[in-house]
Amino acid sequence: MSTDILSEDEKDVLQELMNIAYGSATAVIAQMLDAFASLSIPNIQVMQVATLLKTFQELKSTSYFFASQAFHGEFDGESAFFINEESAKNLALHLELENRSDLDDAILELTNVLTSSLTSRLAQEMQTEVGFSLPNISKVPLNKINDVASFQIYSKVIVIDTDLNFKDQKINGKIFILTKDESIQWLKTKLNIILEELI
Amino acid sequence: MAQNKTKHNFRRIDLDKNILSVINNGILILDNKLQIYSFNKWMQLHTKLKENDVIGKKLDELFPLPNKRTLIRKIETALTMQTPTYYTASVSHYLIPIKINQIENSLFEYMQQDVSIIPLANKKQFVAVILTDQTIMANTNALLKKEKEKNRLQYKQLLASSRSAAMGEMISMIAHQWRQPLSLINTLIANIKIKKELQLLDEEIIDNSINKIEDTVKFLSHTIDDFRDYFKPNKVATNVNISNLFGQSLFFLKNELKQLNIEYDVQIEKDIDIYTYKNELLQSIINILKNSIDAFKESNKKNKKISVFVQKEKKYILLEIDDNAGGIAKENINKVFDPYFSTKSKNGTGLGLYMCKTILEEHLHGKISLTSNTNGTKVAIQLPYKV
Repeated sequence: MSTDILSEDEKDVLQELMNIAYGSATAVIAQMLDAFASLSIPNIQVMQVATLLKTFQELKSTSYFFASQAFHGEFDGESAFFINEESAKNLALHLELENRSDLDDAILELTNVLTSSLTSRLAQEMQTEVGFSLPNISKVPLNKINDVASFQIYSKVIVIDTDLNFKDQKINGKIFILTKDESIQWLKTKLNIILEELI
Repeated sequence: MAQNKTKHNFRRIDLDKNILSVINNGILILDNKLQIYSFNKWMQLHTKLKENDVIGKKLDELFPLPNKRTLIRKIETALTMQTPTYYTASVSHYLIPIKINQIENSLFEYMQQDVSIIPLANKKQFVAVILTDQTIMANTNALLKKEKEKNRLQYKQLLASSRSAAMGEMISMIAHQWRQPLSLINTLIANIKIKKELQLLDEEIIDNSINKIEDTVKFLSHTIDDFRDYFKPNKVATNVNISNLFGQSLFFLKNELKQLNIEYDVQIEKDIDIYTYKNELLQSIINILKNSIDAFKESNKKNKKISVFVQKEKKYILLEIDDNAGGIAKENINKVFDPYFSTKSKNGTGLGLYMCKTILEEHLHGKISLTSNTNGTKVAIQLPYKV
């Protein structure tokens, strides 16, 4: 068994946990935005940050709002939420927001809900606790994505990539959960405990 | 035993109360209708309102809130999700307007606040709202932003100056290229005039002269086209043969090399190709070679020589340009890549090597270094095989 890559079984369990966590997040976001929301089945991968950055480069829009939030505990890392300009504009229209600050705040709230629902649920399943830092936001043109400081501290990351879609409002975003090597190890151990209990 | 437990509980409550009253954060307890249930000492001191006067009242009756609907949404979210929600000072600035009077915080009229809205685990309809003063941080950020903007403007100006310096350089090189053909045209015209005076002008001489003048004018026009093509920045990277590139650099500089009697020795491993921005690289190389040529103008050296040596390394190619023009003074060596630094007695803008470094390191992802002694100067450039 490779020490730094998740096995198919481990991925399966994680995927299942994510589905549960995202279910509750979707409900809250739908309530927050008063609209029907759906989250795509998360795609889980362990990859080098360089590969992840390439993935970002392939996103077609030129400019993204990038919000991130760190979480702490035995399982720690950072979530990164990307929403393109067009979606952000639709979000502002839908929430009848008046200015850029209100829009930033709404994006931060989306990030916070996604991050906390996901990581709290994971933490709960793995019998640990998790705390959160304040989320922050920046607007990043894609050609500057390599300069985002957050990515420079990670070498390898678990990428949980899901699309958040509000069908009628044409709002979609991508969220990535990034963790460092030690947390990947910790997660593997915990996933294996859950796996053993299942068998 | 029961007495001990009571005592313990009392102490615990006492401790919590003490902490609540001395902590350097504003803490209030609200429900989802914004009704206030608790208002700690910090809040009382900063808002100048007593706890008794605010308990039971609604937050929006006491303070003009930036957006009541958002606050209620955040409280509902915190309660439903049983997870904290936030306002950040960098985005929302503040929730409760608290005037600040300190001189050093003059950038903001109101205290900048990070706000956490935390659901109370045992009481499902209440949240604790915690305010943290982030004014100093916000001031620092605002100042940094200002500085950043200033730097950006300075860089823009520098870039504009560099462009006009490069243009000046190009015009001076065109002038060098044109001097000889222009004097050829001049001679041909003078010849026609003399022959006409002496009545020796026949059709053959006129035809010959016109043909030569035509050819020379074509050459002048080509020179302009070549310069224009090579000095236009490339938008896309292409395969560049290094040997050909040095051949082209010679085209621009051969007249000056000849005039000053400088030997130009090029040793390049065959078939070195890299994928890069051709014109940017050519411009940088011409600039470095031009610096060596200019250095010879100010030295009395005999056996003037510029050597170019290029070889493949594992991860990059190494280009070395070496001259024996007498070197750079020790005290200047660390400044040669600084903008506006020049040792040339005339026409030096001090932007040539600065631009080379910017182009080679930031656009072409390479490295440039310079070493010098009393004999001469060596410039070494590392370039990746693929930009």
